Amino acid sequence: MWRWGLLLGLATWLAAAAPANAAKAYVSNEKGNTVSVIDTGTWAVVNTIKVGQRPRGIEFTKDGKFVLVAVGDDDTIQMIDTSNDKIVDTLPSGADPEFFVQDEAGKTLYVANENDNTVTIIDIAKRSLLGDVQVGVEPEGMAISPDGSILINTSETTNMAHFIDTKTHQIVANVLVDSRPRFAAFKQDNSELWVSSEVGGTVSVIDPAKHTVIDKIKFNIPGLRSEAIQPVGINITNDGKTAFVALGPANRVAVIDGKTHQVTKYLLVGQRVWHMAFTPDGKYLLTTNGLSNDVSVIDVAALKVIKSIQVGELPWGVTISPQ
Amino acid sequence: MSKPIRIFLPLVGFVVFALAGTALAADPRYPDWPCAQAKVPEVSVAAVWAGPALDDATGKWKDDAETSALVARLSARRTPIEDAEAQISKYLASKPANKSEAGKELFAGVFETLNEQRSSVMSGLERTMRKQRAAAEKIREDTATLHGLQDAASPDQTKINALADQLGWQTRIFEDRSKVVRFVCDVPNAIDQRLFALSRAIQQGMED
Repeated sequence: MWRWGLLLGLATWLAAAAPANAAKAYVSNEKGNTVSVIDTGTWAVVNTIKVGQRPRGIEFTKDGKFVLVAVGDDDTIQMIDTSNDKIVDTLPSGADPEFFVQDEAGKTLYVANENDNTVTIIDIAKRSLLGDVQVGVEPEGMAISPDGSILINTSETTNMAHFIDTKTHQIVANVLVDSRPRFAAFKQDNSELWVSSEVGGTVSVIDPAKHTVIDKIKFNIPGLRSEAIQPVGINITNDGKTAFVALGPANRVAVIDGKTHQVTKYLLVGQRVWHMAFTPDGKYLLTTNGLSNDVSVIDVAALKVIKSIQVGELPWGVTISPQ
Repeated sequence: MSKPIRIFLPLVGFVVFALAGTALAADPRYPDWPCAQAKVPEVSVAAVWAGPALDDATGKWKDDAETSALVARLSARRTPIEDAEAQISKYLASKPANKSEAGKELFAGVFETLNEQRSSVMSGLERTMRKQRAAAEKIREDTATLHGLQDAASPDQTKINALADQLGWQTRIFEDRSKVVRFVCDVPNAIDQRLFALSRAIQQGMED
């Protein structure tokens, strides 16, 4: 009898432990005012969390304990406790937060407030305001250099990537890119900074030390008008060998050779694809497809779309638990 | 003032407001487009298809009874999308010898059919918008006439009541139509979504 009990106990334990091992993806649904939680082991939506109005930027804290989500129309950032998926606190983000980044240590959060031309700086642990940087232009995309010394802020008005020193909060360089720069991403080794231009339809590759554009990636999809190609999200593998660029209403993700900057493939994902995130093992890339209300799963090695998962209305951003 | 007048006057305000609202959202290229959603006149093949070039599949699908029957079932909104996807996968699995041709023809059929559905919904919306504009003009005129009757030295109460009643009805029809328009405005998007999902299932079925 005790053996049965033991076996049963073991089985229960295994059943409980198995899903907990798989990383969870949190997807902000801009129009649904919810966050969908996806189990990356089973690719099923396991929870839907009601959040504030117009959730967009979304990011795990580095310790994996919380998910931060910018709810622009409520002028705040909500903190979701990932142990029970409940909203437990808010951060003083300033007005209409859309997007934010955190430093490598996971201590400081930089928030782009599009309407009042500021970047708000927040101490995540203390949940308090550290200060504002007047960037003087509409901040849109942001990225932090791997060593944490430089904050990149792209601006729709100036069509520039502004380099801001994270210690002095001064702009130290400006690099002109194509129209409506939307997103910025560094290679892990700090050798390149990539900036997507949504209206220009290009990705500028910048040398972060020299502050110069060293290459410009263009996209061409037969049968699609060029204005349907609107690059937004950029995700580069940790080894820097492959990059993925989400092309908005082209419904595709471009696969780019990290060294030669040549487009090697276009993957049809879902309608109006914007943002993406890798699973912690780097095997899969998840994309948010706003108009088809789903998330596509790309097998990174095979470069194939293996799954699409229905989420809430107008999915915007996605973040996956670090492991 | 008689009772009906008090009821319809706020509604006339609504009519003017409703038209002004649609005018604000308008794209100058499509003056009759009544929706807040942008008008995309046609979906291009490349926006939904990454499979092989269609070549002559575009004309062929109609000649094959099995394909055209399946196209009709897949395109019908009453077929749940999960069922449609299952039917696609089953159909393509039954054509191991010429899966690519079968997939291309099926896609060509679905693409053509749903694009036609989209066009007819969109032209219906624009036709309704033109009717609404004419109705609003009529309501404005009748309101002016009514005010004229009321301001007369010896108001004809029977006439006033009749016109007030008529205005009440006109306004109500206008308002109902506006509600339907707002609802129908979502249909082109819903068709786009269906087309994309079907196209994805066909490409998946061709690769399996």
